[in-house]
Amino acid sequence: MSAQKITSHLSKITSHLSSSSALNLSSHLASRLLLWLILAVVLINGLFPVLWIFFTSLKTEVELAVTPITWLPEQASFANYQQAFSEQPLLLFLGNSVAIALLSALLALVISIGAAYAFARLALPKAGWLLVGLIALAMCPPATLQVPLFEMMRALGLLNTWLALILPNAVLSLPVCILVLVAFFKSLPESLEQAAMLDGCSRLGALWRIVLPLSLPGVITAGTLAFVNAWDEFLFALVLNAAPENRTLPVGILFYQGEYTFPWPLISAALIVGILPLVVLIALSQQRLVGNLTAGGMKG
Amino acid sequence: MMSPALVHKNSLRRSDRLLGVALVTPAIILLLALVAYPLGRIFYDSFFALRLTDQAPGLFIGVENFLYAFEDRDVRSAFWVTLALTIITVPGALVIGLLLALAGNIHFRWRWPIRLALLLPWVLPMSFTGMIFAWFFNSDYGVVNDLLRRLGYEPVAFLLSPGWAFFSVAFAVTWKTSSFVALILLPGLQTIPQSLYDAAGLEGASRWQQFRHITLPLLMPAIVVALIFRTLSAVQTFDIPYAMTQGGPGQSTQTLAMLVNTVSMEYLDIGYGSSLAVLLFLMSLIISLPYLAHLRRSV
Repeated sequence: MSAQKITSHLSKITSHLSSSSALNLSSHLASRLLLWLILAVVLINGLFPVLWIFFTSLKTEVELAVTPITWLPEQASFANYQQAFSEQPLLLFLGNSVAIALLSALLALVISIGAAYAFARLALPKAGWLLVGLIALAMCPPATLQVPLFEMMRALGLLNTWLALILPNAVLSLPVCILVLVAFFKSLPESLEQAAMLDGCSRLGALWRIVLPLSLPGVITAGTLAFVNAWDEFLFALVLNAAPENRTLPVGILFYQGEYTFPWPLISAALIVGILPLVVLIALSQQRLVGNLTAGGMKG
Repeated sequence: MMSPALVHKNSLRRSDRLLGVALVTPAIILLLALVAYPLGRIFYDSFFALRLTDQAPGLFIGVENFLYAFEDRDVRSAFWVTLALTIITVPGALVIGLLLALAGNIHFRWRWPIRLALLLPWVLPMSFTGMIFAWFFNSDYGVVNDLLRRLGYEPVAFLLSPGWAFFSVAFAVTWKTSSFVALILLPGLQTIPQSLYDAAGLEGASRWQQFRHITLPLLMPAIVVALIFRTLSAVQTFDIPYAMTQGGPGQSTQTLAMLVNTVSMEYLDIGYGSSLAVLLFLMSLIISLPYLAHLRRSV
């Protein structure tokens, strides 16, 4: 919904409300109504497009060809899901996406935990410039890298493998992860590690036993960001992989289309299959995510 | 003579420094190999006639590719599409994102539906967003046209006419990215102390005055960060129009990033594609410079 629409709706409602408060309705009720209205707008804006796709996925091809269109499915059925799984190897796409996103996030985490600790605690030479340089590199448009990466992966024999997607995914998430983790590491008192090291712990031991457990929320945030980035990744999955058995969901869903046909019920079902893991992810980590995104929200 | 304790401390510091370098090296190597080297490669290739379909590609032609790019109608069209998308969707997403953040900051009893509504568009893959809105704006069966019909308007062939297709893509991009802006601004809102509003309220400041003179100035740093990242991603727009319109009808929704892909991967003109990639890189570098300067100061 556009900004103008929202504001014009709001102004309409508020003028309506103020005129009704002239009719001796308490202003408390008016502000309550306004609150509920705002809540409704936010919910519709955020959820309706996905909900609409969900409704579509439950409709039959016959129902979809009727105009005027129906909103709620007349006879909800999960037949489209069954067909979506049989027409394309949807389960394989899903598995590839999960595995590639998880491994990308894991690789990004392992490398960025070390790097972030070095930036936060260990006097690196030219630390400021180094960090800025790393982030500048990762801000470069993926579209500019596609041809050289294609040639590089071909030369390394990695074309059409998971690794060809995992490596660039992880690398482009490194700076976000490093920024989030540096902020978390810096917020811990240094005395904790010093105490551990006086007791005979090595630096790395202190990082592993003291710092990491205490900054678990930061690690989870960084990992989630890297996972979401990799789950979303489309261009590299399109260019660096031509093997059907390694296709990820975003690219795989394109294959439901024929040259002139768009089987929307199937596409919708496949989209919902790809969205469900994200809803689970949100349910698991929403509280953390909303607070901690600022430090590293580089996507969008 | 240094005291033994001082020697010990110095050697500790040196071992710390070595460990630091060792820990940061993998990140540096990977970024050099997978980003810096490819960037160098496109700069180099952009000076050659490298069309893989030619008999003997690889002739050095200086800045010929760039000169041609400035004349090329496809490039001009893609440039304007990218620029227009940026000019429309960046302020659009900022305003709606700010409104969403303000709404998200209201204390409702149930917070998780709001969180879900803010987070879902953000985690939704760009390519999914493109498909969802292609269905939304479908001429015959789309929900937008259904609403128009119910309101008594003629349905519009949204994705079949250049102007409306651009509008639809811009709408989808704005929707998708405004939640990102909201999520960047929300924590900023939450750090503004309530006492400031209470004091302003006692002074008789209206809601709008409070927003204008307290919220907006204190939120500015977060707004600037959101602005820079949003602009950067707008310049790089690829997935949404690719999944939604494939750049069409004609070239009305083909962005620069899509043109780089078409020229390099379909026409197999690596030299020319590289020169376009260089232009795209320079555009995004110029946009990211203020953020990088800010970051350099804050480290």
